Amino acid sequence: MTANEWLAKLHEAASCPKKHMERYLSQGKKVVAVAPVYTPMELIHSMGLVPMGVWGADVEIKEAKKYYPAFICSIMQTILEMGIKGEYDGVSAIVIPSLCDSLKTLGQNWKYAVKEIPFIPMSYPQNRKPDYGIKFTKAGYQRVISDLTIAAGAQFSEAALAESIKVYNEHNQVMREFAEIASTARLTAAERNDVFKSAWFMLPEEHTAVVKELNAALKEGPEDEGKARVLVTGILADSPSLLKILDDNGIKVVFDDVAHESRQYRIDVPDMANPMDALAQKFADMDNCTLLYDKEKKRVDYIIEQAKAHSADGVIVLMTKFCDPEEFDYVPIKRACEAAGLKHLNIEVDRQMVNYQQAGTMIQAFKEMF
Amino acid sequence: MAEEVKKSRPAPDPNSAKYKLGQIAAKAYSDAMEAKKRGEMVGWCSSNFPVEIPATLGLYVCYPENQAAGIAARGGGERLCSVSEGDGYSNDICAYARISLAYAKLKEAPEQDMPMPDFLLCCNNICNCMIKWYENISKELGIPMIMIDIPFNPDYEVSDAETEYIKAQFWDAIRQLEEITGKKWTDERFKEVMESSGRASRMWIEATSQARHVPSPFNGFDLLNHMAVMVTARGTKEAGDAMETLLKEYKDNHDKGVSTFRAEEKYRIMFEGIACWPWLRVTSTGLKSRGINMVTTIYADAFGFIYDDFDGMCRAYANVPNCMNLEHSRDKRIKLCKDNHVEGLLVHTNRSCKLWSGFMPEMSRQIGEACKIPVASFDGDQADPRNFSEAQYDTRVQGLMEIMEANKGGNK
Repeated sequence: MTANEWLAKLHEAASCPKKHMERYLSQGKKVVAVAPVYTPMELIHSMGLVPMGVWGADVEIKEAKKYYPAFICSIMQTILEMGIKGEYDGVSAIVIPSLCDSLKTLGQNWKYAVKEIPFIPMSYPQNRKPDYGIKFTKAGYQRVISDLTIAAGAQFSEAALAESIKVYNEHNQVMREFAEIASTARLTAAERNDVFKSAWFMLPEEHTAVVKELNAALKEGPEDEGKARVLVTGILADSPSLLKILDDNGIKVVFDDVAHESRQYRIDVPDMANPMDALAQKFADMDNCTLLYDKEKKRVDYIIEQAKAHSADGVIVLMTKFCDPEEFDYVPIKRACEAAGLKHLNIEVDRQMVNYQQAGTMIQAFKEMF
Repeated sequence: MAEEVKKSRPAPDPNSAKYKLGQIAAKAYSDAMEAKKRGEMVGWCSSNFPVEIPATLGLYVCYPENQAAGIAARGGGERLCSVSEGDGYSNDICAYARISLAYAKLKEAPEQDMPMPDFLLCCNNICNCMIKWYENISKELGIPMIMIDIPFNPDYEVSDAETEYIKAQFWDAIRQLEEITGKKWTDERFKEVMESSGRASRMWIEATSQARHVPSPFNGFDLLNHMAVMVTARGTKEAGDAMETLLKEYKDNHDKGVSTFRAEEKYRIMFEGIACWPWLRVTSTGLKSRGINMVTTIYADAFGFIYDDFDGMCRAYANVPNCMNLEHSRDKRIKLCKDNHVEGLLVHTNRSCKLWSGFMPEMSRQIGEACKIPVASFDGDQADPRNFSEAQYDTRVQGLMEIMEANKGGNK
């Protein structure tokens, strides 16, 4: 198959998550929804369950307004909206971490708004690196195991977790390889996003197999030339209209620091005797994310380093409206870009955007600076 | 042009609770200022950080949230928010944070000055926004940040795992502070601080519970001022003394049939959320003019830190508003409503506080149903005056009052 054919397959998965969920359910599998930004997917997978990402959708918010004031991010609002409207019917449970203030409220609202799908909290520590933090992460995992046992009748074993960790580590490696290949290969921003987005709706072993083939095909294919090279950062970058504007303006995404995309694949579970210890260590090792305590603001340095490493000429911040952690990080990112001589653009986005004219004009003007 | 004639106000009674509490709040700032001048290290501290730690170590700390509220109440909110917005901070960010980031840049504000910090004490039991806010100040000023993470508790009770996690962080914070400041922790001093904090907390809870009397012996808006002492000085003997005076005054008021609510108390409500500091007079007058007394708020419960030992302190700091799940938060409020004979709930949908406002619609529905009281909400902000509409507030309060009146049988 050609790269385009593999991309078409991933586009289909990214566009029709419900179809994939129904396929898994028809195979007798149980599906567990996982909310942004991090959840122990290795653990869920090891219990024979299919973790599927829920990051909301570009839909009108109606029912969720009974629960949320307008100034909560539209990712949370549309997750709740879709839950209320039955879009996730068939799912055995939803795991929601409490890594930001809005996520804390999503779990609380979920209990009353979507009673038929059990809410499973995942409490991560912000002081995640010391031994006491790692111990608390493990306590959070134990809670998830216990709740999944009740909600889905699933069983946990360390041996199965060790196997799932291998599956996820391989997926991480293949996704990191894709991100590097995509920095030069001829690929649109929308196609690049399909590869990341589809990962949320497929079992990792299935997705790994497809992306491996895609990587091989892309390596053989032509390179993108003559485009403005940018690093994109933010929570989410999956709006087809916005990605089309990037493509129409000859802007190439050479790397990303997007929570929905590469942030998921940076860190592998280390090789340790006990798989539970290893999984907790993975969370301790994670950095460079707005939702993880970062007093040295290493994420800012990371963005600049990666922009330079991938020969980016600029940085586009896709700012999810009402995401205050990202809004706090924006100012140091902006200053660091200026200090490093990188052009930068801040575009506010949300799940409710219907008119992209302003974003289009901003991106067009940004491109003209190159 | 006629000269302005200022009415001379009677000198405040130095033995009154109001005077004592005002002095303690002001002294917290002046002591820190003087300490800074002497060359001592001063910290900035989040409001629900375990103050027992700096108090036991004998450290001077100031409270940016308290400062931001003061600046906003004195009219400086928009000016400082605009400074941060000019630097690129979104106006969707918490206004306390915007004011504080602006102050960290300007280093002065006539509304409320505060010494610049040598270290930061952050605790996210009030919100995760606090982490990002302090991260940025730490980076900007190049000073150490000590972070105590108290995760949002999805369960009703605080688990052993969480208590253990918090306890380890408390000791880690103490160790870091000893290293940074050279001060030493002693268990004897901690015991004294714990006793002072416990005494102030008991007096505060007992004083605020005097609202159970009908009419209430005080105007609930008083609590919004007095709570500053519970935030900044609850580990001191003076705070306990002042709170004891407050309790005595409220009891005396009840015995004499008087109140600091200077109107006929026709209706009793609970006010939910942080005060609209830039519009304090408007929000207060809108109630008082209708005979509505705000007899309780969650603050009546929030600053009651009563515990017996170090483990108890760890659990107490995990049981603060914004850190508890919906059911626990709801039940505390239902108790306050029932204990204080509340007839209506007025909810401040606070644009600055996503966590406080993010499950408030569901929780306030449940409170309304459990207590059989009407619920009204209004849009506002704790410190940015641009996010409040006087007309909307007036309409919502009027609506609430009419339902309360109907419930009394007045509109039959």
